[in-house]
Amino acid sequence: MNVLSDAFVSSPVLDVQGLSKVFTGSSEQTPVLSGLNFQAWPGEFICITGQSGCGKSTLLKLLAGFIPPTAGRILFKGKSITGPGPDRCVVFQEDALFPWLTVAENIGFGLKGKALSAAEKQSRVNRFLDLVGLTEFKDYLPGEISGGMKQRVALARILVLSPEVLLMDEPFAALDARTREQMQNLLLSLWEQLKQTIIFVTHDVREAVTLSDRTMVMGRITGEAIITPIHLVPIPLERPRIQSSREFMELAAQINSPNK
Amino acid sequence: MYRILPWILPATALCGWGLASNLGWVPPYLLPSPGDILDTAGIYIFGTDGQGPYAGRFARDTLASLFRVGLGFGLATVCGLILGVWSGRVPAVARLLNTPVNGLRAVPGITWLPLAMVWFGIGLKTTVFLVALAAFFPIYLNAASGAAQVNPLLLQAGAMMGVDRIRGTFAILLPAAMPAIVTGLRLGLGISWAYLVLGELSGVPDGLGAVIMDARMLGRIDMIVVGIILIALMGQASDWLLKNALKFCFTSAARQI
Repeated sequence: MNVLSDAFVSSPVLDVQGLSKVFTGSSEQTPVLSGLNFQAWPGEFICITGQSGCGKSTLLKLLAGFIPPTAGRILFKGKSITGPGPDRCVVFQEDALFPWLTVAENIGFGLKGKALSAAEKQSRVNRFLDLVGLTEFKDYLPGEISGGMKQRVALARILVLSPEVLLMDEPFAALDARTREQMQNLLLSLWEQLKQTIIFVTHDVREAVTLSDRTMVMGRITGEAIITPIHLVPIPLERPRIQSSREFMELAAQINSPNK
Repeated sequence: MYRILPWILPATALCGWGLASNLGWVPPYLLPSPGDILDTAGIYIFGTDGQGPYAGRFARDTLASLFRVGLGFGLATVCGLILGVWSGRVPAVARLLNTPVNGLRAVPGITWLPLAMVWFGIGLKTTVFLVALAAFFPIYLNAASGAAQVNPLLLQAGAMMGVDRIRGTFAILLPAAMPAIVTGLRLGLGISWAYLVLGELSGVPDGLGAVIMDARMLGRIDMIVVGIILIALMGQASDWLLKNALKFCFTSAARQI
Protein backbone atom coordinates (compact mmCIF):
# COMPACT_ATOMS: atom_id res chain seq x y z
CA MET A 1 0.00 0.00 0.00
CA ASN A 2 1.44 3.38 -0.92
CA VAL A 3 1.64 6.43 1.28
CA LEU A 4 -1.26 8.25 -0.39
CA SER A 5 -3.91 5.57 0.14
CA ASP A 6 -2.65 5.07 3.67
CA ALA A 7 -3.25 8.72 4.39
CA PHE A 8 -6.71 8.46 2.84
CA VAL A 9 -7.69 5.48 4.95
CA SER A 10 -6.58 7.13 8.15
CA SER A 11 -8.23 10.54 7.65
CA PRO A 12 -10.99 11.34 10.13
CA VAL A 13 -14.66 11.36 9.09
CA LEU A 14 -15.41 14.15 11.51
CA ASP A 15 -12.78 16.65 12.58
CA VAL A 16 -13.93 19.09 15.25
CA GLN A 17 -11.59 22.05 15.57
CA GLY A 18 -11.83 24.67 18.31
CA LEU A 19 -15.60 24.38 18.41
CA SER A 20 -17.44 26.92 20.57
CA LYS A 21 -21.11 27.63 20.96
CA VAL A 22 -22.61 30.53 22.87
CA PHE A 23 -26.37 30.92 23.07
CA THR A 24 -27.33 34.57 23.04
CA GLY A 25 -30.46 35.33 25.04
CA SER A 26 -32.20 38.68 25.30
CA SER A 27 -29.97 39.85 28.17
CA GLU A 28 -27.26 37.28 28.75
CA GLN A 29 -24.89 35.01 26.90
CA THR A 30 -24.71 31.34 27.81
CA PRO A 31 -21.53 29.54 26.78
CA VAL A 32 -22.23 25.86 26.17
CA LEU A 33 -19.14 24.61 24.39
CA SER A 34 -15.74 26.23 24.37
CA GLY A 35 -12.74 25.25 22.27
CA LEU A 36 -13.71 21.61 21.76
CA ASN A 37 -11.38 19.41 19.66
CA PHE A 38 -11.80 15.76 18.70
CA GLN A 39 -11.77 13.42 15.71
CA ALA A 40 -14.00 10.52 14.78
CA TRP A 41 -12.52 7.85 12.54
CA PRO A 42 -14.31 5.78 9.90
CA GLY A 43 -16.42 3.04 11.47
CA GLU A 44 -15.81 4.26 14.99
CA PHE A 45 -18.50 4.13 17.68
CA ILE A 46 -18.20 7.12 20.02
CA CYS A 47 -20.48 7.72 22.96
CA ILE A 48 -20.79 11.17 24.48
CA THR A 49 -21.79 11.34 28.09
CA GLY A 50 -21.83 13.93 30.84
CA GLN A 51 -24.26 15.56 33.23
CA SER A 52 -27.29 17.54 32.07
CA GLY A 53 -26.44 20.91 30.63
CA CYS A 54 -22.90 19.99 29.60
CA GLY A 55 -23.70 20.53 25.92
CA LYS A 56 -24.05 16.93 24.67
CA SER A 57 -27.17 17.62 22.66
CA THR A 58 -25.82 20.96 21.44
CA LEU A 59 -22.73 19.21 20.12
CA LEU A 60 -24.91 16.73 18.26
CA LYS A 61 -27.00 19.54 16.72
CA LEU A 62 -23.80 21.24 15.59
CA LEU A 63 -22.53 17.99 14.03
CA ALA A 64 -25.88 17.54 12.28
CA GLY A 65 -25.71 21.09 10.97
CA PHE A 66 -29.01 22.18 12.55
CA ILE A 67 -27.28 25.11 14.28
CA PRO A 68 -24.08 27.00 13.33
CA PRO A 69 -21.05 27.19 15.65
CA THR A 70 -20.11 30.49 17.30
CA ALA A 71 -16.43 29.80 16.68
CA GLY A 72 -14.33 26.96 15.30
CA ARG A 73 -15.39 24.49 12.66
CA ILE A 74 -16.43 20.93 11.96
CA LEU A 75 -14.94 19.18 8.96
CA PHE A 76 -16.82 16.26 7.45
CA LYS A 77 -14.33 14.33 5.29
CA GLY A 78 -12.25 17.49 5.03
CA LYS A 79 -15.12 19.84 4.14
CA SER A 80 -16.72 22.36 6.46
CA ILE A 81 -20.31 21.55 7.48
CA THR A 82 -22.81 24.21 6.38
CA GLY A 83 -26.15 22.54 7.06
CA PRO A 84 -27.98 19.24 7.57
CA GLY A 85 -27.60 16.53 4.96
CA PRO A 86 -28.27 12.83 4.32
CA ASP A 87 -24.59 11.94 4.88
CA ARG A 88 -25.01 12.76 8.62
CA CYS A 89 -28.40 11.56 9.85
CA VAL A 90 -29.93 11.93 13.28
CA VAL A 91 -32.06 9.58 15.37
CA PHE A 92 -33.88 11.90 17.76
CA GLN A 93 -34.71 11.19 21.36
CA GLU A 94 -38.41 11.75 20.77
CA ASP A 95 -40.59 10.30 18.13
CA ALA A 96 -40.03 12.33 14.95
CA LEU A 97 -41.74 10.00 12.49
CA PHE A 98 -44.31 11.37 10.05
CA PRO A 99 -47.61 10.36 11.69
CA TRP A 100 -49.55 10.28 8.40
CA LEU A 101 -47.19 7.76 6.77
CA THR A 102 -47.05 4.03 7.42
CA VAL A 103 -43.92 2.34 8.74
CA ALA A 104 -42.85 1.40 5.19
CA GLU A 105 -43.64 4.87 3.82
CA ASN A 106 -41.65 6.52 6.62
CA ILE A 107 -38.65 4.33 5.78
CA GLY A 108 -39.01 5.13 2.07
CA PHE A 109 -39.47 8.90 2.61
CA GLY A 110 -35.83 9.90 2.14
CA LEU A 111 -35.52 7.78 -1.03
CA LYS A 112 -38.32 9.65 -2.84
CA GLY A 113 -36.11 12.33 -4.37
CA LYS A 114 -33.40 9.84 -5.41
CA ALA A 115 -32.74 8.70 -8.94
CA LEU A 116 -33.58 5.05 -8.31
CA SER A 117 -36.14 2.82 -9.96
CA ALA A 118 -39.34 2.15 -8.01
CA ALA A 119 -38.37 -1.51 -7.70
CA GLU A 120 -34.94 -0.62 -6.30
CA LYS A 121 -36.51 1.74 -3.75
CA GLN A 122 -39.01 -0.93 -2.74
CA SER A 123 -36.32 -3.56 -2.32
CA ARG A 124 -34.20 -1.22 -0.17
CA VAL A 125 -37.22 -0.44 2.03
CA ASN A 126 -37.94 -4.16 2.36
CA ARG A 127 -34.32 -4.91 3.24
CA PHE A 128 -34.30 -2.38 6.09
CA LEU A 129 -37.77 -3.38 7.28
CA ASP A 130 -36.30 -6.85 7.61
CA LEU A 131 -33.07 -5.66 9.27
CA VAL A 132 -34.98 -3.88 12.05
CA GLY A 133 -37.51 -6.72 12.27
CA LEU A 134 -40.62 -4.74 11.31
CA THR A 135 -41.71 -6.47 8.10
CA GLU A 136 -45.03 -7.57 9.54
CA PHE A 137 -45.73 -4.04 10.83
CA LYS A 138 -44.95 -2.26 7.56
CA ASP A 139 -48.51 -1.03 7.00
CA TYR A 140 -49.04 0.28 10.53
CA LEU A 141 -49.09 3.98 11.31
CA PRO A 142 -46.61 5.34 13.92
CA GLY A 143 -49.51 5.96 16.31
CA GLU A 144 -50.27 2.24 16.33
CA ILE A 145 -46.83 0.87 17.32
CA SER A 146 -44.76 0.91 20.53
CA GLY A 147 -41.97 3.33 21.44
CA GLY A 148 -39.25 0.75 20.74
CA MET A 149 -40.71 0.01 17.30
CA LYS A 150 -40.86 3.73 16.52
CA GLN A 151 -37.14 4.08 17.25
CA ARG A 152 -36.46 1.08 15.03
CA VAL A 153 -38.36 2.85 12.22
CA ALA A 154 -36.38 6.04 12.95
CA LEU A 155 -33.16 4.02 12.63
CA ALA A 156 -34.26 2.26 9.44
CA ARG A 157 -35.43 5.43 7.69
CA ILE A 158 -31.93 6.90 7.92
CA LEU A 159 -29.94 3.67 7.42
CA VAL A 160 -31.75 3.26 4.10
CA LEU A 161 -29.98 6.45 2.95
CA SER A 162 -26.55 4.87 3.77
CA PRO A 163 -25.27 7.82 5.82
CA GLU A 164 -21.59 7.77 6.68
CA VAL A 165 -22.25 9.20 10.12
CA LEU A 166 -25.09 8.29 12.42
CA LEU A 167 -25.89 10.86 15.10
CA MET A 168 -28.03 9.55 17.93
CA ASP A 169 -29.43 11.81 20.65
CA GLU A 170 -30.32 9.65 23.66
CA PRO A 171 -32.39 7.50 21.31
CA PHE A 172 -33.24 4.80 23.83
CA ALA A 173 -33.69 6.99 26.91
CA ALA A 174 -37.48 6.86 26.82
CA LEU A 175 -37.63 3.06 26.51
CA ASP A 176 -38.01 0.50 29.28
CA ALA A 177 -34.87 -1.38 30.37
CA ARG A 178 -35.64 -4.58 28.47
CA THR A 179 -36.49 -2.81 25.21
CA ARG A 180 -33.41 -0.62 25.59
CA GLU A 181 -31.18 -3.69 25.85
CA GLN A 182 -32.78 -5.19 22.73
CA MET A 183 -32.26 -1.91 20.87
CA GLN A 184 -28.61 -1.77 21.95
CA ASN A 185 -28.04 -5.26 20.61
CA LEU A 186 -29.87 -4.42 17.39
CA LEU A 187 -27.78 -1.26 16.94
CA LEU A 188 -24.52 -3.15 17.52
CA SER A 189 -25.44 -5.87 15.04
CA LEU A 190 -26.47 -3.29 12.41
CA TRP A 191 -23.26 -1.38 13.02
CA GLU A 192 -21.19 -4.54 12.60
CA GLN A 193 -22.91 -5.15 9.23
CA LEU A 194 -22.94 -1.58 7.89
CA LYS A 195 -19.90 -0.04 9.64
CA GLN A 196 -20.91 3.60 9.81
CA THR A 197 -19.35 6.06 12.21
CA ILE A 198 -21.71 6.48 15.15
CA ILE A 199 -21.84 9.41 17.57
CA PHE A 200 -24.20 8.40 20.34
CA VAL A 201 -25.25 10.77 23.13
CA THR A 202 -26.36 9.16 26.37
CA HIS A 203 -26.52 10.11 30.04
CA ASP A 204 -26.29 6.41 30.94
CA VAL A 205 -22.65 5.47 31.61
CA ARG A 206 -23.38 1.73 31.41
CA GLU A 207 -24.89 2.25 27.97
CA ALA A 208 -21.78 4.15 26.89
CA VAL A 209 -19.44 1.38 28.10
CA THR A 210 -21.64 -1.32 26.52
CA LEU A 211 -21.65 0.30 23.10
CA SER A 212 -18.67 2.48 22.35
CA ASP A 213 -15.09 2.22 21.14
CA ARG A 214 -14.37 5.47 22.92
CA THR A 215 -16.48 7.42 25.38
CA MET A 216 -16.24 11.16 25.54
CA VAL A 217 -16.99 12.63 28.95
CA MET A 218 -18.02 16.24 28.81
CA GLY A 219 -17.80 18.66 31.72
CA ARG A 220 -20.01 21.55 32.59
CA ILE A 221 -19.05 25.11 31.84
CA THR A 222 -19.94 27.72 34.45
CA GLY A 223 -19.34 31.40 33.82
CA GLU A 224 -15.98 31.91 32.15
CA ALA A 225 -14.14 28.93 33.55
CA ILE A 226 -14.37 25.42 32.21
CA ILE A 227 -14.65 23.31 35.33
CA THR A 228 -14.05 19.91 33.78
CA PRO A 229 -12.29 19.57 30.47
CA ILE A 230 -13.42 16.77 28.23
CA HIS A 231 -11.95 13.30 28.48
CA LEU A 232 -11.90 10.63 25.83
CA VAL A 233 -11.85 7.20 27.46
CA PRO A 234 -11.03 4.24 25.22
CA ILE A 235 -13.14 1.14 25.90
CA PRO A 236 -10.83 -1.73 24.92
CA LEU A 237 -13.27 -4.54 25.78
CA GLU A 238 -14.34 -7.34 23.44
CA ARG A 239 -17.97 -7.34 22.36
CA PRO A 240 -20.43 -8.58 23.56
CA ARG A 241 -19.54 -6.93 26.86
CA ILE A 242 -20.56 -8.27 30.21
CA GLN A 243 -21.88 -5.54 32.45
CA SER A 244 -21.02 -7.47 35.63
CA SER A 245 -17.34 -7.97 34.70
CA ARG A 246 -14.63 -6.23 36.70
CA GLU A 247 -13.16 -4.40 33.71
CA PHE A 248 -16.60 -3.08 32.76
CA MET A 249 -17.23 -1.70 36.22
CA GLU A 250 -13.77 -0.14 36.44
CA LEU A 251 -14.32 1.66 33.14
CA ALA A 252 -17.74 2.84 34.24
CA ALA A 253 -16.24 4.16 37.47
CA GLN A 254 -13.47 5.89 35.54
CA ILE A 255 -16.04 7.62 33.33
CA ASN A 256 -18.12 8.64 36.33
CA SER A 257 -15.15 10.43 37.93
CA PRO A 258 -12.69 11.09 35.12
CA ASN A 259 -10.34 13.28 37.19
CA LYS A 260 -9.06 10.43 39.34
CA MET B 1 -78.66 2.43 20.30
CA TYR B 2 -75.49 4.39 19.63
CA ARG B 3 -76.45 4.71 15.97
CA ILE B 4 -79.81 6.38 16.69
CA LEU B 5 -78.35 8.83 19.22
CA PRO B 6 -77.92 11.70 16.67
CA TRP B 7 -81.59 11.44 15.64
CA ILE B 8 -83.19 11.47 19.08
CA LEU B 9 -83.30 15.25 19.53
CA PRO B 10 -84.58 16.08 16.01
CA ALA B 11 -87.23 13.31 16.27
CA THR B 12 -88.39 14.56 19.69
CA ALA B 13 -88.64 18.12 18.39
CA LEU B 14 -90.65 16.90 15.41
CA CYS B 15 -93.07 14.95 17.65
CA GLY B 16 -93.50 17.95 19.96
CA TRP B 17 -94.12 20.20 16.97
CA GLY B 18 -96.71 17.84 15.47
CA LEU B 19 -98.46 17.48 18.81
CA ALA B 20 -98.54 21.25 19.40
CA SER B 21 -99.99 21.86 15.93
CA ASN B 22 -102.64 19.13 16.19
CA LEU B 23 -103.78 20.18 19.63
CA GLY B 24 -103.96 23.79 18.49
CA TRP B 25 -101.39 25.10 20.99
CA VAL B 26 -99.80 27.23 18.26
CA PRO B 27 -101.84 28.87 15.48
CA PRO B 28 -100.82 27.92 11.90
CA TYR B 29 -99.96 31.52 11.02
CA LEU B 30 -97.11 31.34 13.56
CA LEU B 31 -96.02 27.74 12.96
CA PRO B 32 -97.73 25.50 10.38
CA SER B 33 -98.02 21.77 11.11
CA PRO B 34 -95.33 19.32 9.95
CA GLY B 35 -97.75 17.93 7.37
CA ASP B 36 -98.27 21.35 5.78
CA ILE B 37 -94.52 21.90 5.71
CA LEU B 38 -94.04 18.58 3.97
CA ASP B 39 -96.67 19.54 1.35
CA THR B 40 -95.01 22.91 0.77
CA ALA B 41 -91.60 21.25 0.48
CA GLY B 42 -93.01 18.72 -2.00
CA ILE B 43 -94.44 21.47 -4.19
CA TYR B 44 -91.27 23.54 -3.89
CA ILE B 45 -89.08 20.64 -4.93
CA PHE B 46 -91.23 18.65 -7.39
CA GLY B 47 -94.10 21.01 -8.29
CA THR B 48 -94.90 22.46 -11.71
CA ASP B 49 -95.95 25.97 -12.67
CA GLY B 50 -99.49 26.82 -11.60
CA GLN B 51 -99.08 25.25 -8.14
CA GLY B 52 -98.31 28.58 -6.54
CA PRO B 53 -95.41 31.04 -6.59
CA TYR B 54 -92.72 28.63 -5.34
CA ALA B 55 -93.63 25.53 -7.31
CA GLY B 56 -90.62 23.69 -8.69
CA ARG B 57 -88.13 26.43 -7.91
CA PHE B 58 -85.91 24.25 -5.71
CA ALA B 59 -83.37 23.20 -8.33
CA ARG B 60 -82.86 26.71 -9.67
CA ASP B 61 -82.57 28.28 -6.19
CA THR B 62 -80.21 25.61 -4.92
CA LEU B 63 -77.95 25.84 -7.93
CA ALA B 64 -77.80 29.62 -7.59
CA SER B 65 -76.97 29.35 -3.89
CA LEU B 66 -74.41 26.58 -4.40
CA PHE B 67 -72.69 28.65 -7.06
CA ARG B 68 -72.43 31.65 -4.72
CA VAL B 69 -71.22 29.57 -1.79
CA GLY B 70 -68.74 27.74 -4.01
CA LEU B 71 -67.30 30.93 -5.44
CA GLY B 72 -67.05 32.74 -2.09
CA PHE B 73 -65.72 29.71 -0.22
CA GLY B 74 -63.24 28.95 -3.01
CA LEU B 75 -61.91 32.50 -2.91
CA ALA B 76 -61.62 32.37 0.88
CA THR B 77 -59.84 29.00 0.67
CA VAL B 78 -57.20 30.20 -1.78
CA CYS B 79 -56.46 33.43 0.14
CA GLY B 80 -56.87 31.93 3.61
CA LEU B 81 -54.64 28.90 3.06
CA ILE B 82 -51.81 30.74 1.32
CA LEU B 83 -51.72 33.69 3.73
CA GLY B 84 -52.42 31.49 6.76
CA VAL B 85 -49.64 28.96 6.15
CA TRP B 86 -47.26 31.77 5.24
CA SER B 87 -47.96 33.76 8.39
CA GLY B 88 -47.79 30.56 10.47
CA ARG B 89 -44.22 29.96 9.32
CA VAL B 90 -42.76 33.45 8.86
CA PRO B 91 -42.92 35.66 11.98
CA ALA B 92 -42.55 38.86 9.94
CA VAL B 93 -45.61 37.96 7.85
CA ALA B 94 -47.56 37.14 11.01
CA ARG B 95 -46.61 40.52 12.48
CA LEU B 96 -47.66 42.26 9.29
CA LEU B 97 -51.02 40.50 8.94
CA ASN B 98 -52.24 39.78 12.46
CA THR B 99 -53.21 43.32 13.48
CA PRO B 100 -55.42 44.07 10.44
CA VAL B 101 -56.86 40.55 10.39
CA ASN B 102 -57.82 40.67 14.06
CA GLY B 103 -59.26 44.16 13.64
CA LEU B 104 -61.41 43.16 10.67
CA ARG B 105 -62.43 39.92 12.38
CA ALA B 106 -64.02 41.93 15.19
CA VAL B 107 -66.37 43.62 12.70
CA PRO B 108 -69.62 41.62 12.37
CA GLY B 109 -70.14 40.50 8.77
CA ILE B 110 -73.55 42.10 8.58
CA THR B 111 -72.03 45.59 8.92
CA TRP B 112 -70.34 45.06 5.57
CA LEU B 113 -73.70 44.63 3.86
CA PRO B 114 -74.49 48.34 3.25
CA LEU B 115 -70.98 49.01 1.98
CA ALA B 116 -70.96 45.89 -0.19
CA MET B 117 -74.28 46.90 -1.76
CA VAL B 118 -72.86 50.31 -2.64
CA TRP B 119 -69.67 48.78 -4.03
CA PHE B 120 -71.02 45.75 -5.82
CA GLY B 121 -74.75 46.36 -6.24
CA ILE B 122 -77.39 43.75 -5.50
CA GLY B 123 -76.68 40.19 -6.52
CA LEU B 124 -73.84 37.78 -7.11
CA LYS B 125 -70.86 40.02 -6.31
CA THR B 126 -72.19 41.27 -2.97
CA THR B 127 -73.08 37.75 -1.85
CA VAL B 128 -69.75 36.29 -2.92
CA PHE B 129 -67.93 39.16 -1.20
CA LEU B 130 -69.75 38.56 2.09
CA VAL B 131 -69.29 34.79 1.94
CA ALA B 132 -65.59 35.06 1.08
CA LEU B 133 -64.94 37.63 3.78
CA ALA B 134 -66.67 35.60 6.49
CA ALA B 135 -65.13 32.26 5.49
CA PHE B 136 -61.62 33.72 5.22
CA PHE B 137 -61.09 34.21 8.96
CA PRO B 138 -61.53 30.64 10.26
CA ILE B 139 -59.57 29.25 7.29
CA TYR B 140 -56.72 31.74 7.77
CA LEU B 141 -56.53 31.42 11.56
CA ASN B 142 -56.60 27.62 11.61
CA ALA B 143 -54.06 27.30 8.79
CA ALA B 144 -51.76 29.77 10.60
CA SER B 145 -51.93 28.01 13.96
CA GLY B 146 -51.65 24.59 12.30
CA ALA B 147 -48.55 25.63 10.37
CA ALA B 148 -47.02 27.33 13.42
CA GLN B 149 -47.51 24.26 15.61
CA VAL B 150 -45.91 21.73 13.29
CA ASN B 151 -43.32 19.80 15.32
CA PRO B 152 -39.95 21.36 14.32
CA LEU B 153 -38.37 17.91 14.59
CA LEU B 154 -40.37 16.80 11.55
CA LEU B 155 -38.91 19.63 9.46
CA GLN B 156 -35.39 18.95 10.84
CA ALA B 157 -35.82 15.27 10.02
CA GLY B 158 -36.77 16.25 6.48
CA ALA B 159 -33.79 18.58 6.12
CA MET B 160 -31.34 15.90 7.23
CA MET B 161 -32.88 13.43 4.76
CA GLY B 162 -32.06 15.87 1.99
CA VAL B 163 -35.54 17.34 1.46
CA ASP B 164 -35.46 20.82 -0.10
CA ARG B 165 -37.74 23.70 0.89
CA ILE B 166 -40.44 23.14 -1.73
CA ARG B 167 -40.77 19.40 -1.12
CA GLY B 168 -40.58 20.09 2.61
CA THR B 169 -43.59 22.38 2.32
CA PHE B 170 -45.75 19.95 0.37
CA ALA B 171 -44.53 16.65 1.81
CA ILE B 172 -44.05 17.63 5.47
CA LEU B 173 -45.45 21.04 6.44
CA LEU B 174 -48.89 20.84 4.82
CA PRO B 175 -49.57 17.18 5.75
CA ALA B 176 -48.52 17.90 9.34
CA ALA B 177 -50.82 20.94 9.48
CA MET B 178 -53.64 19.06 7.73
CA PRO B 179 -55.90 18.44 10.78
CA ALA B 180 -55.97 22.18 11.57
CA ILE B 181 -56.45 23.07 7.89
CA VAL B 182 -59.43 20.70 7.64
CA THR B 183 -60.97 22.22 10.79
CA GLY B 184 -60.60 25.71 9.31
CA LEU B 185 -62.14 24.68 5.99
CA ARG B 186 -65.12 23.02 7.68
CA LEU B 187 -65.75 26.05 9.91
CA GLY B 188 -65.37 28.30 6.86
CA LEU B 189 -67.86 26.32 4.82
CA GLY B 190 -70.38 26.38 7.67
CA ILE B 191 -70.13 30.13 8.00
CA SER B 192 -70.38 30.46 4.20
CA TRP B 193 -73.99 29.23 4.35
CA ALA B 194 -74.84 31.78 7.05
CA TYR B 195 -73.47 34.66 5.01
CA LEU B 196 -75.02 33.31 1.83
CA VAL B 197 -78.47 33.89 3.32
CA LEU B 198 -77.42 37.36 4.49
CA GLY B 199 -76.22 38.25 0.99
CA GLU B 200 -79.36 36.86 -0.63
CA LEU B 201 -81.63 38.72 1.78
CA SER B 202 -80.48 41.90 0.04
CA GLY B 203 -82.92 41.26 -2.79
CA VAL B 204 -81.61 38.84 -5.40
CA PRO B 205 -84.31 37.03 -7.42
CA ASP B 206 -83.17 33.45 -6.80
CA GLY B 207 -81.44 31.40 -4.10
CA LEU B 208 -82.51 29.72 -0.88
CA GLY B 209 -82.02 32.93 1.14
CA ALA B 210 -83.99 34.95 -1.42
CA VAL B 211 -86.92 32.51 -1.16
CA ILE B 212 -87.02 32.96 2.61
CA MET B 213 -87.05 36.74 2.32
CA ASP B 214 -89.71 36.61 -0.39
CA ALA B 215 -91.88 34.26 1.67
CA ARG B 216 -91.71 36.60 4.65
CA MET B 217 -93.14 39.43 2.56
CA LEU B 218 -95.93 37.18 1.27
CA GLY B 219 -96.63 35.87 4.77
CA ARG B 220 -95.79 32.29 3.78
CA ILE B 221 -94.49 30.97 7.11
CA ASP B 222 -94.54 27.40 5.74
CA MET B 223 -92.13 28.39 2.97
CA ILE B 224 -89.80 30.08 5.46
CA VAL B 225 -89.63 26.88 7.50
CA VAL B 226 -88.98 24.82 4.35
CA GLY B 227 -86.14 27.21 3.47
CA ILE B 228 -84.61 26.88 6.92
CA ILE B 229 -84.74 23.09 6.83
CA LEU B 230 -83.28 22.95 3.33
CA ILE B 231 -80.38 25.22 4.30
CA ALA B 232 -79.70 23.03 7.34
CA LEU B 233 -79.66 19.95 5.10
CA MET B 234 -77.45 21.62 2.49
CA GLY B 235 -75.03 22.72 5.20
CA GLN B 236 -74.82 19.19 6.59
CA ALA B 237 -74.45 17.63 3.16
CA SER B 238 -71.75 20.05 2.03
CA ASP B 239 -69.80 19.52 5.26
CA TRP B 240 -69.94 15.76 4.76
CA LEU B 241 -68.88 16.13 1.13
CA LEU B 242 -66.00 18.46 2.00
CA LYS B 243 -64.69 16.19 4.75
CA ASN B 244 -64.82 13.08 2.59
CA ALA B 245 -63.41 14.81 -0.48
CA LEU B 246 -60.40 15.92 1.58
CA LYS B 247 -59.97 12.43 3.00
CA PHE B 248 -60.19 11.01 -0.51
CA CYS B 249 -57.65 13.42 -1.97
CA PHE B 250 -55.06 13.52 0.84
CA THR B 251 -53.71 10.53 2.78
CA SER B 252 -52.60 12.97 5.47
CA ALA B 253 -56.28 13.92 5.94
CA ALA B 254 -57.53 10.35 5.70
CA ARG B 255 -55.10 9.07 8.35
CA GLN B 256 -55.21 11.98 10.78
CA ILE B 257 -58.91 12.93 11.03
